[in-house]
Amino acid sequence: MPKLPIRLLPRLSLPGFSARTLAIGYVAVSLIVLAMFAGPLWFSWSTNVEQVRTELLQSDTHRLHQLYLRNGPEALAAAINAQTGTSYQGVGKLMLLIGPDGKKLAGNLDEWPVNVHGNSQPCAKRIMIDGQYQNVELTNGVLPGGYKLLIASSLNRFENLEAIFIYGLLGCAATVLMVAILGALLIRRVMLSKVDGISQTTTAIIAGKLSQRLPAPSQGDDLEMLTYTVNGMLDQIEHLVHSVQDVSNSIAHDLRTPLTELRTRLEELTVTRPPEAETYAEIDAAINDVDRVMAIFNALLRLAEIDSGTRRGGFVPVDLARLTAEVAEFYLPVAELNEISLTFEPLGMLQTEGDPLLLAQALGNLVENALKYAPAHGRIAITAQRCNEQLIQLTVADNGPGVPEHERARVVERFYRSDSSRGTPGVGLGLALVSSVARLHCGTLELQDNRPGLRAVLYLSVPRHATPSLA
Amino acid sequence: MKLLLVEDNERVSRFVIKGLSEAGHTVDHADNGRDGMYHAVSATYDAIIMDRLLPGGIDGLVIVETLRKSGNRVPILILSALDGVDDRIRGLKSGGDDYLIKPFAFGELLARLDALLRRSQEKSVETSLSLGGLTIDLLTHKVMRDGRQLALQPREFKLLEYLLRHANQVVTRTMLLENVWDYHFDPQTNVIDVHISKLRQKIDAGFPTQLLRTVRSAGYMLSDHA
Repeated sequence: MPKLPIRLLPRLSLPGFSARTLAIGYVAVSLIVLAMFAGPLWFSWSTNVEQVRTELLQSDTHRLHQLYLRNGPEALAAAINAQTGTSYQGVGKLMLLIGPDGKKLAGNLDEWPVNVHGNSQPCAKRIMIDGQYQNVELTNGVLPGGYKLLIASSLNRFENLEAIFIYGLLGCAATVLMVAILGALLIRRVMLSKVDGISQTTTAIIAGKLSQRLPAPSQGDDLEMLTYTVNGMLDQIEHLVHSVQDVSNSIAHDLRTPLTELRTRLEELTVTRPPEAETYAEIDAAINDVDRVMAIFNALLRLAEIDSGTRRGGFVPVDLARLTAEVAEFYLPVAELNEISLTFEPLGMLQTEGDPLLLAQALGNLVENALKYAPAHGRIAITAQRCNEQLIQLTVADNGPGVPEHERARVVERFYRSDSSRGTPGVGLGLALVSSVARLHCGTLELQDNRPGLRAVLYLSVPRHATPSLA
Repeated sequence: MKLLLVEDNERVSRFVIKGLSEAGHTVDHADNGRDGMYHAVSATYDAIIMDRLLPGGIDGLVIVETLRKSGNRVPILILSALDGVDDRIRGLKSGGDDYLIKPFAFGELLARLDALLRRSQEKSVETSLSLGGLTIDLLTHKVMRDGRQLALQPREFKLLEYLLRHANQVVTRTMLLENVWDYHFDPQTNVIDVHISKLRQKIDAGFPTQLLRTVRSAGYMLSDHA
């Protein structure tokens, strides 16, 4: 299946998660919550009031209708007047009874509203009273004998209450809005100040102050994890930059020495023009100088190759017991020559997977180191054993001067040479290579105190599928 | 011996051709991949020295592969500045017989070339090797010199066997390291010299002629010539 270019994938246009959108969102959510609270309340209030009002109107109409049928128009007029008086001002109920001739008989309205005709069930209407429109709920009908009756209930009666509700709601909304805006601003400020801290620190780092770190967060801080991660990353970057600087300096230094010697030698040859035999001796020495430079380069290239991890593809089954035995046997004559006792204790099969060439070189470097530092009549003990199912331990221990504790971490760095090792042959890449080989095999190199001497322990992890089955 | 050198660097070519001619070989030279391919397929050589990165659009390895596909079994020594182990493996897999990394010492090149030429001439399967009264039995691992049996460790036997197979020929320390121990690194100590001197103790001590000689700034040679 061909890979889709990322550009063709649907792009979600979500707003960015910035402090501003967070603040706006906070306000919006507050208002929505308020509306969800006020909406149903308002709805139930208004339907309830309307229903009660309609029921009242219906029962009034029914009652007055019965009265008229039983006692006649005069009684009805008297009842209406008793209920409403003659003025509609300040009263919620409006009534009007007019005779068949159109003349007012009773009620608190002066004339029949122009837009009301015939019979009607209770419904909301807008009628003109004394030149002013009023909202009313109204029912009217024609009684037997041509009398017309109108009963209405002013909607303005609950206006005050409704106004109080609305104002309350608005006040509430305003308060919520204000609190929300303040809260949002506060959140934004806190977030921006934190981001600001990060950006100030990184700006300083860009400017070259590599030792800068993000301020330590208070416990439970949302950004605690991020801060620790960023600081960890900065530690690593600083370490890498420094080690690159150190390596460059060391390369420059370590190469300059043989190159300077070489140059001097050649220059001397052209200036002094010594006899032939001497000239050839000088040329041989010059070739040795070049070989030293080449050796440093080769060691560096090999380290780079190991660190790139590409060699893992070439892992094959290896018996570490056998490999260690062969390395020990390889160096045994050198040890004998220097009257150093070199012992090896093989402990069964140590089957794993790895790069045999590199493992042999790493072990060889450790043994060469031990040979270099062990005193005359000294001891070197090599062991290879399995710690557990997934770990094999190769140890090379000598009784030389050892490495002081504060230098142990540094001696495995490239080109690091302890003061005590200056003047001995080597370019300071041996332990760095061992350490890189260990990392390639998902292991570590540990330097320990052998009291006296150095105990170099190479831990190598065994891939799960390389463990021989017990069957 | 007639040799072909495919190498684009003029200085290196001149140096190698001069050295090989002095060693008694005839050398044809091609300085790009196209000419190299042409020479290699149109003439018969005893061995070819092939650089890897060549101008002319043809990689040295391509020439090697082409030769092998057409059934040509001429010994090929690959020269290369690419020194990763993977590069070495690729070079040998494509059909090269040996792989030498640049920069190299001329002695190393000559020694390896002689080993290649010798190997291509060996025909029968031997069961014993001998030189000037020294005989080793490849089946029983018995070592005799002038009728006296010598006791050798297994690794010493392997070392002696390699030297005998390349008798009267210089073998370098690197060749010994690679072929006897199968190690591909430079020991910082003189460990090879110590092994050689131990072997010398066993095979030469108490005999009038010294077979195992040190060749200055090159390596060692097992020889019965005076």
